[in-house]
Amino acid sequence: MGRLQAIAEGISRVGAIVGGALLLLAALVICVDITLRYTISKTLGGADELSGYALAIASAWGFSAALLSRSHIRIDTVYVRVRPRVRVALDFLSLITFTSFIALITWHAWGVLRQSYVSNSHSLSEIEAPLVVPQSLWFVGLVFFVAVALLLLVRSLHALLTGDLAKVFALIGSKSAVAEAEEEVRATERAMDEGRRP
Amino acid sequence: MTAAISLIVLLVVLGSSIAVAAGMGLVGVVLNQLFSPMPLTRVTGELTWSTTTNFILTAIPFYIMFGEILLRSGIAGRMYTALVPWLSWLPGGLMHSNVAACALFGSVSGSSVATAATIGVVAMGEIDKHKYNEPLFLGTLAAGGTLGILIPPSINMIIYGVMTDTSVPKLYLAGFIPGFILTVFFSLTVLIACIWKPHWGGEKIHVNWREGIPLLPDLLPPLGLLMIVIGAIFFGIATATESAAVGIVGALAITAWRRRLTLTMLRDVCEATVRTTAMVVAILVGAFFLNIVIQAIGLTQQLSQLITAYQLTPVQVLTAVIFLYLILGTFMEELSMMISTIPITTPLMVQAGFDSIWYGILIVLLIQTAMISPPFGINLFVIHGIRGRGTLSDVEKGAAPFVLSLLLMIVLICVFPEIVMWLPRIVG
Repeated sequence: MGRLQAIAEGISRVGAIVGGALLLLAALVICVDITLRYTISKTLGGADELSGYALAIASAWGFSAALLSRSHIRIDTVYVRVRPRVRVALDFLSLITFTSFIALITWHAWGVLRQSYVSNSHSLSEIEAPLVVPQSLWFVGLVFFVAVALLLLVRSLHALLTGDLAKVFALIGSKSAVAEAEEEVRATERAMDEGRRP
Repeated sequence: MTAAISLIVLLVVLGSSIAVAAGMGLVGVVLNQLFSPMPLTRVTGELTWSTTTNFILTAIPFYIMFGEILLRSGIAGRMYTALVPWLSWLPGGLMHSNVAACALFGSVSGSSVATAATIGVVAMGEIDKHKYNEPLFLGTLAAGGTLGILIPPSINMIIYGVMTDTSVPKLYLAGFIPGFILTVFFSLTVLIACIWKPHWGGEKIHVNWREGIPLLPDLLPPLGLLMIVIGAIFFGIATATESAAVGIVGALAITAWRRRLTLTMLRDVCEATVRTTAMVVAILVGAFFLNIVIQAIGLTQQLSQLITAYQLTPVQVLTAVIFLYLILGTFMEELSMMISTIPITTPLMVQAGFDSIWYGILIVLLIQTAMISPPFGINLFVIHGIRGRGTLSDVEKGAAPFVLSLLLMIVLICVFPEIVMWLPRIVG
């Protein structure tokens, strides 16, 4: 199952990179659009719409990446002050509610996608994009989140049954805000270093 | 009654360390079950799609990406060095450069954590070289960093604008003068502290301002980006989202010019951007759903009736709201605090007669205060993390005088609302 998670991590990483690339592309298209608007008073049309799709797809795929790196925000004021057993209970509670909420969204997202497919919907703009395309990518991202969340749930339940609380924490625990900030700082330092190397 | 119960349930759920996004969604589902005849959960699919394809919200990943590129472009370090000769003659030396660098970086960055982290990493090496009072030095970085969300662009203002239907460009205009005044306040705080206790100011740095002139070109890239990103919005050439997109291209150009543009770098930028974006968007989705439920069950009207029933004056409402945020801000993560509460407090404040633009700036100032108020202050954690030694309480101590400057700023905009409203009025 550890291998399954490694695969999931790989996929969600690729999802995040592709999502980011879509956003970068959207930014470039917007710039071209602005340039055309002020030089030959024409626009490509639909740049704003495309960037909206990029955000929807990127965030749907990003949900799982953030879940795997345990970076979804949790308020840990109480969490850090209770006994480890209570903490584990809270971790499960958090994961189960999160999974249920996104599953609820995914369920109804399927309805949105099916509706677009059945009525062959196109966007109400000049590019008349077939909505099925961006919505499918978005929907698959959400489904992937639910799958990853269930995998984490199974793995952490297994760890709980074998009494390995440390592993439960490593899988689904809430990082303290201090640790979170520390990671942020390391990432910043790495990024600035990365730039320094030619 | 429903209002009070809902707010308490929300705070209990969020306090139980359930992921904030899921917590708000859960409270939405429960409130809907209890008080609304319509099954609003059905709209979650459509709502998530329409929220995440909202063009104004696209500005959020764009500003995050912009920041990630800037980090790797190497402009922050050069900018800091270029500011030093011009400001370090003041009592308090480099601490003024810290504040100024934060303000300048804040005017291209939309995030306080990113501002504190970037300038913090650049400045931290100087702390031992010149024997500054360590807590105060750390305080300037934690507090200076908060300027990131007050001085436009600002991710928090975009979120506030979208959630409360307020114009983002007007919020940007409104943040400008308070941002400038607060920067001066922070510098004055350092000045007063170092005149009162001269040894806090460290060893005098002897720099000739002539040495500063050759360094001035290093200030050009950030100033150029500032002109593009903010200028385009102020002169109505581009929307907030478009200007962020232009910023990305500008930052990429600088990175390429400095020979730092590589595929690995772009890959890391994309990955980091999406991870952060997803975190924010997840909370927004939960909040938008909760917001719909709150409106459907008539919670905001109830709150408004409360004001009329008890004949509360605007000043009383304002005081209550300020205290609510000062208390919440001590223990709640700042972004979640803002997103989970503004759907309730904004209609209340507007009902009491306050302008939603003015209230947006007040909220930002309150969030800034929360960011440097212990025990939970995200910027305190960031600066402590960079320092990598000593205790968190050093940073807390050093930030305390700046909490006072922020409180003073809050009082100032309450007494003279024109500080906020003048610019959006004459330009808009």
